[in-house]
Amino acid sequence: MTNLLPALSVLFAVVATAVPWGLPADATFILPLVVVMMVFCWRAIPGSALHPAGAAGLGLLADLMSGGPLGYWALMCLIAATVGRRAGTLKESQDVGIHWLIWTVLVSLLGVFGWLLASLYYFRWIDWWPIALGAAASVALFPVVLYGLLWVRHGRVGLARNTLFRGAS
Amino acid sequence: MRERASPLFRRHRPSWTAPVELLSFGLYFLCAVLLVLSRIGHGAINEARNGLVDLSAPMLELASVPAIEARRALERAELYMAAFDEVDRLKKENEELKQWEWRTKLLERKVAHLRSLLNAVEEPALVYATGRVIADARGPFVRSALINLGRRDGLRIGYAVINGDGLVGRTVDAGHSVARVLLLNDLNSRIPVLVGPAGVRGLASGDNSAELQLDFLPEGATLYPDDEVYTSGSDGVLPRGLRVGVVTGSPGAYKVRPYAELNSLDAVSVLFFDAPALTRADPPEASDGIGALSAAPVAAQETETASAGLPMTVVPAPTGEQAQAER
Repeated sequence: MTNLLPALSVLFAVVATAVPWGLPADATFILPLVVVMMVFCWRAIPGSALHPAGAAGLGLLADLMSGGPLGYWALMCLIAATVGRRAGTLKESQDVGIHWLIWTVLVSLLGVFGWLLASLYYFRWIDWWPIALGAAASVALFPVVLYGLLWVRHGRVGLARNTLFRGAS
Repeated sequence: MRERASPLFRRHRPSWTAPVELLSFGLYFLCAVLLVLSRIGHGAINEARNGLVDLSAPMLELASVPAIEARRALERAELYMAAFDEVDRLKKENEELKQWEWRTKLLERKVAHLRSLLNAVEEPALVYATGRVIADARGPFVRSALINLGRRDGLRIGYAVINGDGLVGRTVDAGHSVARVLLLNDLNSRIPVLVGPAGVRGLASGDNSAELQLDFLPEGATLYPDDEVYTSGSDGVLPRGLRVGVVTGSPGAYKVRPYAELNSLDAVSVLFFDAPALTRADPPEASDGIGALSAAPVAAQETETASAGLPMTVVPAPTGEQAQAER
């Protein structure tokens, strides 16, 4: 079950992106970028198992649910998975700050790449403002998501489960 | 010495194994192929997409319940906050509407009299079905919504979708039990419209923002803020006279603010308007039974509705059993 935790949490986030929250038109990039950020974080957390194929599959599911170009979010998730794995090897004593910086650079590049790709796809310049807003929001949300995932993986969830098992025995 | 409690501080060794690298390369290539196939609108891709969306529909419907309830609770809380002002406004609006009701009845009688004098042909009734938005499929580049109506309900591609406020969009994909509605403000949405009392022709185009652009207006056309915008029906797909929104902006950069709140859609109705262009693009299935204007049940109970300011009679679509009985 622990091995499935990363994929399940990202799947939950993908479904959440499709739910009608009633967000304004400019905020549509925020939730999909949180999915990409989760893929990055899971790949950066040592010991967690989120295969690149799984990341691409979940991205593809996001594409299907959004009705957008197939392969777009799959590609984004795949890039995040690749960079996330490499991010763990940058240096010793890395901390959240360094991962945050890496994510800031990555999401900026992903934003520009995504904007160019989408503009090429539709043969017209896509409005860049929602992408920039989504990227900025994802940078601001990074520590929350990262600590949230660490909490899910190593935190009280495990302790609570152990307590429950002890109580049962 | 620094404390190394976080798992992030642990030494991390990546696995540089050839199969994984090869797989990653293959996945990148697959994404590129999918993007190209999606761009050219390959039939297999569309079919696979429809099938998968159909499969995920129950899960989406379940997942959307808490979000919709939370949104309603928020709306209700906002309403309570401004309840007194709202009551005053509604009282005033009610007075105005009573006057309008009297004038409308007068005009209705006049129109009926003139029609009988001209021996005018009766306009066909429009059949509709009402469903619920189950997923907010508004990606960064797509403004669409998934609704819980599909081909089993007689729905086909190209049908107009409205709510109580006005036109919402049109169906672009139809699965067995779900359909995708392309919203008015989507980048690919183009609606031929008439503007104002003079009926100036134009094209309302979505650009993924909250308002629509108003293009292809005649040279020297003068529009005024709050002029009503409604469908012209000249595309041969949408019925004429559906309320779209009102004019905003200034000369040279006119925009349309849609009546429908496209960010928070809930219940929507699909109008089964089968224009010839539509029939060619997505021919009705033999088993459909409903959906075509010609197949509109004569015995269907006509209902008076003010939905989207429709100029024609609107009748609800029959249920599956009723359709079978009709056949």
